[in-house]
Amino acid sequence: MSIMEYNGGSVIAMVGKDCVAIASDLRLGVQSLSISSNFQKIFPVTDRIYVGLPGLASDVTTLHEQFRYRVNMYTIKEEREIEPQTFAQMVSSTLYERRFGPYFIEPVIAGMQRTPSGSYEPFIAATDLIGCLNFAKDFVVAGTASSELFGAAEGLWEPDLEAEDLFETISQTLLNAVDRDTFSGWGAVVHVMTKDKVITRTLKGRMD
Amino acid sequence: MFLTRSEYDRGVNTFSPEGRLFQVEYAIEAIKLGSTTVGVCTPEGVVLAVEKRVQSPLLEASSIEKIMEIDSHLGCAMSGLIADARTMIDHARVTSQNHAFTYDEKIKVESVTQAVCDLALRFGESVHDEDAMMSRPFGVALLIAGVDEKGPQLFHTDPSGTFVRYDAKAVGSGSEAAQSELQDKWHKQMTLKEAHILTLRVLKQVMEEKLDQHNVQLAQVTSDKGFEILDEVRLKALIDDM
Amino acid sequence: MPDGSFSHPQQRSFNPYTENGGTILAIAGADFTVIAGDTRQSEGYSIQTRYAPKVFRLTDRAVLAVNGFAADGNMFVKKVKQRLEWYRHAHAKDMPLRAIARLIQTMLYAQRFFPYYVYNILGGIEEDGTGAVYSFDPVGSYEREACRAAGAAQSLVQPFLDNQIYFKNQQAAPGQSHPLHLPLSDVLSIVIDSFTSATERHIEVGDGLEMYVVLAKGRSAQGLEGGRGVQELTTRTDGDRVFVIRRELKKD
Repeated sequence: MSIMEYNGGSVIAMVGKDCVAIASDLRLGVQSLSISSNFQKIFPVTDRIYVGLPGLASDVTTLHEQFRYRVNMYTIKEEREIEPQTFAQMVSSTLYERRFGPYFIEPVIAGMQRTPSGSYEPFIAATDLIGCLNFAKDFVVAGTASSELFGAAEGLWEPDLEAEDLFETISQTLLNAVDRDTFSGWGAVVHVMTKDKVITRTLKGRMD
Repeated sequence: MFLTRSEYDRGVNTFSPEGRLFQVEYAIEAIKLGSTTVGVCTPEGVVLAVEKRVQSPLLEASSIEKIMEIDSHLGCAMSGLIADARTMIDHARVTSQNHAFTYDEKIKVESVTQAVCDLALRFGESVHDEDAMMSRPFGVALLIAGVDEKGPQLFHTDPSGTFVRYDAKAVGSGSEAAQSELQDKWHKQMTLKEAHILTLRVLKQVMEEKLDQHNVQLAQVTSDKGFEILDEVRLKALIDDM
Repeated sequence: MPDGSFSHPQQRSFNPYTENGGTILAIAGADFTVIAGDTRQSEGYSIQTRYAPKVFRLTDRAVLAVNGFAADGNMFVKKVKQRLEWYRHAHAKDMPLRAIARLIQTMLYAQRFFPYYVYNILGGIEEDGTGAVYSFDPVGSYEREACRAAGAAQSLVQPFLDNQIYFKNQQAAPGQSHPLHLPLSDVLSIVIDSFTSATERHIEVGDGLEMYVVLAKGRSAQGLEGGRGVQELTTRTDGDRVFVIRRELKKD
């Protein structure tokens, strides 16, 4: 029994043209027994950052609280909002602190990063359970359906997708991937972020 | 032929100096003592008919079984030592079921006929610790009828293990007369109904008793309904139509 | 360490199986079937060869892809071909596709307690002229499907196929429905995309791609004959035809 597969769940993030998207399934289970079809794994960090926390459900809560605490402390001390890049480093160091007794979570980060010119560019990142960062330029995946997500995303994703097309791409990728994973599924949620807004949609999926 | 007996008609697996296997030839002769059996092939299907010799008024005619099912698309009529046919039919049935199991398709009529004929020459004298095999040739001839991807077909097998395909064939005691009648009357575009009537007429000609629904048996193999033995009601209707 | 001593417990083991990586895939069209496989053969992290075919022509209308333990796979294909030859002698015809499918089941199940460590995908043309794919588990459980991926990158490719072939999670435009079968050119594109994707993300997939195309009798081979890397394996043009298309995949 792998503890990473105890509760199930998957998250994916993708880059588009001046937009990013992050999506997850809604299942919470205990091995093969499904408990909830409304379990939140993606959390807003700031107006421009979302973090997805697939893995052990108890650690989802713990880490979410931990990140909330650290981000608030950062905001107060620095008197500014944290940037996605900085938040990713924070996630990484938080996880590496527990190098030899890790949280069983593989976080996925998506956000709009402020550039020196004052505009925003899409940012995604993911880490393993001890905080090794992966700054991909296309998409990142994590969770029990990660190999399915990799395959589907590799086939469906293309560069410079507009927000609506990115929504369709990430939704199709997630839905079709979780349908081939017994530990993920039971509905999905998708956030598509542009420089000035976030659109959140809850998707119906196969309930088996 | 039989007057010139020699030591070569003793051993079942010994050729005579003229190159003959007497026991096999005698087995073929034995069939000529059997009741007449007729098979007719048409584009619609194959018809098999046999004469049942009801030797006693106390004999239950329906218990005489000379046409048997091999599979849903295969039938068989026989003449000669009926008991011997059981071994062959058993083998044919097993072969057919095995083919369906292994290949998920119906076995061809020729293939099942070949399988039966493979048995025919497995007789002889076993050597010390060998399993005992059959002691003599089969004393029966079969008419194997069936429908497969090549359409309706009729095969004849004899105790030598030879098999040949026929459009119409008669075997048994009345076979000579019956065969020449079939040669006269059979034609390519025969309907199934015509074939029913033909087989009955041929049997009627060669039978000593008066033909009725009790002393003949009729069966057919068609592509849509497969093998079926006609019951006495249908048989009587056909006899009335003759 | 097993050293023959009785002073401490010892364990001996025999591992008759290896996993040789690679991926296979088949998609059925209305009157054609594509059966494909990569050509990399690996053991652990080493590549044994960059060209070891996993897809084999059995008859003019049947192609078999075998994935898993290469030694078992090659022996299995050899035995299937032998059975097809015997069948030709006994019944004077080529074995039909569904009969081959059933034969493969009985051959695999015969080894129920020492299985061939292989996943089989059989593709070709059915007696009625339709394209067909049959997929098997190592002990012979089988099913006819429109498409199937197997092997190292099955988990990567199958969700993509569900989406592109079965249109899973897609709704047809009002008053319209999804096509049951795709044209050959679309299917070939999907196969190539599947393998380039799998090559990108899976270390055991790559080097070369062999796509067998079986065309039903009477169907035009339009676009295949004389194409780049295309070779015809059948000699007669009046029956079902088998082509193979070879492509390079990344070697890293």
